Amino acid sequence: MIAGDSITLSLGGRAILQSAYVDAVPGKITVLVGRSGAGKTTLFEILVGRRRPDGGQVRWNGEPVPRPSLALLARRGLFYHPDRPWLAMSLTPADHFALLGRTPQGDTIGVTAWLDRRVGTLSGGELRLTEIALGLARAPAVALLDEPFRGLEPRHREQVAAALRLLAQQGTAVLYADHDVESVRRTADRLFSMEQGATRLVEGFRERPLAEWYHAWPR
Amino acid sequence: MWLTSRLFRSYVYRFWLLWVVGKIANATTAAVVDLPPLAFRPGTELVICAFELAVLIAFIRRAHEDILLGNLGMRLPIALAPLVLLHLVLSLALSLLA
Repeated sequence: MIAGDSITLSLGGRAILQSAYVDAVPGKITVLVGRSGAGKTTLFEILVGRRRPDGGQVRWNGEPVPRPSLALLARRGLFYHPDRPWLAMSLTPADHFALLGRTPQGDTIGVTAWLDRRVGTLSGGELRLTEIALGLARAPAVALLDEPFRGLEPRHREQVAAALRLLAQQGTAVLYADHDVESVRRTADRLFSMEQGATRLVEGFRERPLAEWYHAWPR
Repeated sequence: MWLTSRLFRSYVYRFWLLWVVGKIANATTAAVVDLPPLAFRPGTELVICAFELAVLIAFIRRAHEDILLGNLGMRLPIALAPLVLLHLVLSLALSLLA
């Protein structure tokens, strides 16, 4: 569905992304895993047009998207969840669902409990769950999520993981970034490892010891 | 749908506050150079309107609400375009009342 191919970016003379590749496949959960500062967020921002790369291409269904923008890709079925709060603090979650013309879908992750509270009064975990629930309600073709589990307690992590699994079962191409490699191994169908701005697809990541693929990058 | 949403209404409110600030600045400057303070001067109004929109867009981006609009499939300039009309109507109405 969506792919970033041979993406390069340098900032201030430092290579941030080095011919990075990542893609999302319908019906699968693909995870981009890497330490903080590896370039995951930057790569996602390029995929949704919030940054311009020095080189490389963003593709949608195999076709190059010359000037990608979030609005354009959202109209094609993308949902983007960045690593920072992005809802309007003065509105309620119900107002946000109304904007979409949707209701919380089966309330997989329990947002109905705070549907009428102002977003600005929600806890960090409630806010993150609301943001993800909004994305699920849209039933997107592609869900691109940057660290969706960050700041969530274990119970909520399980809810979000179950919701992502449900989305994938419904045919959505789920792609998310994370640095918690152990939890990723349980959730992912496909896995890209990222280090120092470069990516590689890891086969057999569940069976192979971490040292063979995650800690094996040249330093 | 967008024009009746609470999010758009919150932008209308913030834009109205910016319009008041812009109008005070414009009237003050006009008075200094002996022009009618509240008269409708199309060129000036468009410049002030562009400034008000730039400030509003900066606020929206700072709160990352441009991502919310993006996820709705809306580009910021298109989402905020009706505010240009609002600026012109408010300024014209004030000049007629003055």
